[in-house]
Amino acid sequence: MDRQNVLTALEKALTDVLERPVTGLTGDVKLFDDLHLDSTTMLEMLMALEDSIGLVVDPEDLDADDFVSVDTFTDFVLASRLGQVTA
Amino acid sequence: MTRPAQLLHELLDQAAERSPHSVALSTQGGSLTYGELAEASVRMAGRLHVEGLKRGDRMVVTASDGLGIALLVYAASRLGIVFSVLHEQVRGGPLEHVVKDCEPELLVSDDPEVAHTAIRHHLTFLRIEELVRAALDPRTVSAPLPENPGTLTVDPVSLIYTSGTTSLPKAVVSTHQQVLFSATAIQACLDYRADDVVYCPLPLSFDYGLYQVYLSALSGARLHLGTVAEAGPPLLRSLEAAGATVLPGVPSVADRLAWLLRRGTGRLGRLRLLTNTGAALSDSTMSALRDALPQLRIQVMYGLTECKRTAIMPPDGDLTHPGSCGIPLPGTEVFVIGDDGERLPAGEIGQFVVRGPNVMAGYWRRPELTAERFPRTGGLFPELRTGDYGWQDKDGYLYFSGRRDDLYKERGFRLSATEVEAAATRVDGVTSAAVLPPEGRRTAILAVVADITADEVREGMRDHIEPFKIPRRCVRLDALPTNGNGKVDRKKLAALVEQTPATSVITEALQARLAH
Repeated sequence: MDRQNVLTALEKALTDVLERPVTGLTGDVKLFDDLHLDSTTMLEMLMALEDSIGLVVDPEDLDADDFVSVDTFTDFVLASRLGQVTA
Repeated sequence: MTRPAQLLHELLDQAAERSPHSVALSTQGGSLTYGELAEASVRMAGRLHVEGLKRGDRMVVTASDGLGIALLVYAASRLGIVFSVLHEQVRGGPLEHVVKDCEPELLVSDDPEVAHTAIRHHLTFLRIEELVRAALDPRTVSAPLPENPGTLTVDPVSLIYTSGTTSLPKAVVSTHQQVLFSATAIQACLDYRADDVVYCPLPLSFDYGLYQVYLSALSGARLHLGTVAEAGPPLLRSLEAAGATVLPGVPSVADRLAWLLRRGTGRLGRLRLLTNTGAALSDSTMSALRDALPQLRIQVMYGLTECKRTAIMPPDGDLTHPGSCGIPLPGTEVFVIGDDGERLPAGEIGQFVVRGPNVMAGYWRRPELTAERFPRTGGLFPELRTGDYGWQDKDGYLYFSGRRDDLYKERGFRLSATEVEAAATRVDGVTSAAVLPPEGRRTAILAVVADITADEVREGMRDHIEPFKIPRRCVRLDALPTNGNGKVDRKKLAALVEQTPATSVITEALQARLAH
């Protein structure tokens, strides 16, 4: 999986979570300030990615610094284990 | 024996006297002992005094810095100042409303936009970061405080802005006595201990967040303030790192923890108590938490700003009284009345009425509304008509069933459909608007008749209300269905919305921000 795949999956996840189309994301977009995600919607985003790309979430690995921007979050996904896709 | 605290800051002074070297507050960056916190709040009070603030003046704080808020709150109490802590997202129009409503002498924030509001209204503006830095520096020469400001325990200490059935928020006024009674009664039920680490994932602008400061001072516990980011997806790790033993939460926090624990390896052996307020906790979350954390006790609670806390469940009482939101605070009573105002017997649904020292003073400068919600029996004894409906069993346990006005809860916030609708119709291009409160798993939906896109409506609303109040989903309709007397028919509206697919496009406004 490369950055572009992650970005596409992220756009789809955010579209579901925010209940409106999210397209054209770039790496410097801030999750809190620009997309207005909060702690609940951040978690919903993780859930959506578990289903779509099989992201394996290890609660011990989640760090606030990974949830700053699209870039930091993409790095986190690329460094994570990917398991089975359920949807 | 020390006399019970009469003024809010005496909670802190007594804790500092008992155990000056115990840690009072901590964050990921550092910590302060009770002794240090008390001294810093004296320096902070000295600074406010130099700025000309005096007994009875109002101070509005809008910031996310929990340590700064705690210092300002205690400093305000030392001088007899009335404080109001606003959510950090309160800006622009909503902030203007608060400023006009309570006419503060001082605005405290770190946001330049707030500074502009202060200038427009000729108010003193101070940066919280600078205030905190000076207060924490022991080299800061403390300005002498007035000998005795003369503050009484029946004087106001805080204003809490809350959404009601009006289009603009109004402030619930609490006196020192009312806050101290409520905090002491809550502590009697929750029993925080001196060796507890209370992990607060809630902003201190949320009143249950701020009460954690008081509960910790009463018990001598350490309060750890988590940031929004730390208490988000990394919640489990943050709790572990802080050594948390108590987690005061709202349903979204408990849901998040349960979700993380399902993917974790059964840690958090020290977490002994979870409390819940804001809305009911789901059975599945409670059983998931109990399965993963056998030592954890859960206490569900129910309350509203007008009396802070109404009822608290004994530890794990939900197992013997499923569906109940607890029993009234010690020293208070709750009864149920019918539409005619008469008390109803156990088991019958009616309006909850609260009596006791936890019932707050009323609404700031709203005598009619205060008289309506805080009527006096026989013209003498105040009680609170909560507007919440439910029933009480023979043992006094309360069961909440809903409200009959337009208030609803989402993500732990009390929201008013009237307020949200008013904000939507203030956006240029919107003709009319109606809110469908959340139902089951569906979040609140805003339906509008407008000649701009649904996303533009949501963006435009940001000028008029706080972002967390804006429904996530907005749909555009040709007309809002009405019933015989011209009111919006929410049943027909819900059916209509069901058939409308979510087909909005990303707006120019959002794209412009994304491009930066």
